[in-house]
Amino acid sequence: MSIVLTRLDDRLIHGQVVVGWVQHLGVKRIVLVDDEVRSNAWEQELYTLGVPGDITVEFASVDEAVQAVRDWNADPTRTLLLAGRVDAIVRLCEGTDVIRKINVGGLHEGSGRTQRLAFVYLTGEEAEQLRRLHDQGVEVSAQDVPTANRAPLKDWA
Amino acid sequence: MTPEWGWLVVWGAIVSLDLVSVGQFMLARPLVAGTVAGVILGDPLAGGTVGAILELFALDVLPIGGVRYPDYGVGAVAAAATAAGAPGALGTGIAVCTGLVVAYVGEWVMLVVRQANTADVRRHREALDAGHPPTIAAVHVRGLGRDLVRSVVLTVGGLALAAAVHRWPPVDEVRGAVLVGIVVIGAGLGAATAGVLRAVGQTVTVRWFGLGLIVGVIWTFSQ
Amino acid sequence: MTRGLGASWLRTFLLQASFNFDRMVGIGWAWAAEPILRALPGGRGGEAYHGAMRRATRFFNAHPYLAGMAVGAVARAEHEGLPPDKVERLRQALIGPLGSVGDKLIWAGVLPASVGLGLLVAALVSPVAGAVVFFVGYNAVHLPLRWWALREGWRRGADVSGALTAGGIKRGMRLLGPFGALLVGIAIPVLGGWLARDYVLETKLSIALVGALGVAFARWILPAFRGLRFGLVAAAVALLVGWLS
Repeated sequence: MSIVLTRLDDRLIHGQVVVGWVQHLGVKRIVLVDDEVRSNAWEQELYTLGVPGDITVEFASVDEAVQAVRDWNADPTRTLLLAGRVDAIVRLCEGTDVIRKINVGGLHEGSGRTQRLAFVYLTGEEAEQLRRLHDQGVEVSAQDVPTANRAPLKDWA
Repeated sequence: MTPEWGWLVVWGAIVSLDLVSVGQFMLARPLVAGTVAGVILGDPLAGGTVGAILELFALDVLPIGGVRYPDYGVGAVAAAATAAGAPGALGTGIAVCTGLVVAYVGEWVMLVVRQANTADVRRHREALDAGHPPTIAAVHVRGLGRDLVRSVVLTVGGLALAAAVHRWPPVDEVRGAVLVGIVVIGAGLGAATAGVLRAVGQTVTVRWFGLGLIVGVIWTFSQ
Repeated sequence: MTRGLGASWLRTFLLQASFNFDRMVGIGWAWAAEPILRALPGGRGGEAYHGAMRRATRFFNAHPYLAGMAVGAVARAEHEGLPPDKVERLRQALIGPLGSVGDKLIWAGVLPASVGLGLLVAALVSPVAGAVVFFVGYNAVHLPLRWWALREGWRRGADVSGALTAGGIKRGMRLLGPFGALLVGIAIPVLGGWLARDYVLETKLSIALVGALGVAFARWILPAFRGLRFGLVAAAVALLVGWLS
């Protein structure tokens, strides 16, 4: 159980992750699951920047993550899984049965999304996908920082 | 209403604008906001004392990624206005309490402004998405205007509360005032400690914090 | 110096003035970038300017001091005529990194370090001296950092990541956190001693006890019940106890 948090956040690695969750949970490895970032060296360089030196950052495509997620969970290194897209999270959950909890940290306005919470905007299709995960027994809740209250999926989607 | 209180309104509004909208020069830090308010009222020691205590509370806040936070700056101005001229140890606790209440209210008033800004953006979404410069400037300046109104309203409200607490009941007749002073100093020291521990987490930095605490304790007891 | 850079720098101080949930500081970002974009070929009537402004109002959020780096970098990319989708991706990709670097460097580094120093001076010298030391020390980093961020962004354009990987920023992130923790650590007991200077030993010990209780609540018992809430409730209990006794 060394995947200590699986987070959905379209800002990917930012202050709430580095100063908030990483410190709070004692995370030692961040795996960024995103097809575009995986194939883009300068973006990888950018996202590695804000992370303290004693924490490793790895980049995976969604397919690679589906293959490796079982190993990450078996590994003793405390790991934070981070994805920016709802469909990536869905494939990650449905491709394996390792991830039972999703933390929605921030999905922002744009491309037909409507507001669900102060920091969560979803299209109808994305809301439907998250509800489907919930029906499959995955606990989906929204919480931006460790000190905030957690809002379960049924309250906002 | 003396001229000092007029200057306090101006100072409180500047402090509150500094928190988010204008500059973030950290005028809004309670140590600065409270001390300057104390100077305006001719009692820098009282203002600085309540400012320093509220500063401890403010160390509990990390303003990361657009989350909400209490308006401790205006809180410190209100606390300084409560404490100025009141008998030292008696006034401090009640004054800091007043500041905490104002800071807490400030957090919620900020939410109202952000909702109004959001509604404004939605009303003009088409022009904004078309990159129409006059609309961009207008929406932006209206947001600034809302925050100015918020700052003035919060400051006037906070100072009204401070004036009421300052005069009635007389602070030295409040039973438990000394106890409140003890409690807010303790709670402030606890808030700062917990805040730093949360910010540094489980990294080596926690050892530096521990080292600092030991040095500070030894120094304090050696006096 | 490029025309508009100074105006944009001044406008970054108002970046967050229209903070909203949909775009966060996106509108402020567009407003701050506008002076540099005016210099695009064709000027204010040109298609380059209109295209750039269309892309400028989308969602944006980052640390306010470093957001200027995105303004500079994206403006440079627009001036160099990068394809629109590349420009959008650049602007979007800078959100997270400029947030995490800024939060780490400033909110978890420079700020606690200068607050710790300010509180120490307040307790040892005077509150006025403490406030001045804090304010001057903090802004001695803040103001140059804002200017550096915008200028580096403008100088490097799409290759802006090099500015953030430069030695100074990395060293700052590594050293300022521990330094700030050390200073705040020293300041907490020293300030506590100063605030409690008129009290007897038993009272000082009860202050420490309340502090320990506050830490226990924040860390283990009830994390939502921390800081301000703990302070208000503890004070209410104190008033009640005083009133009853």
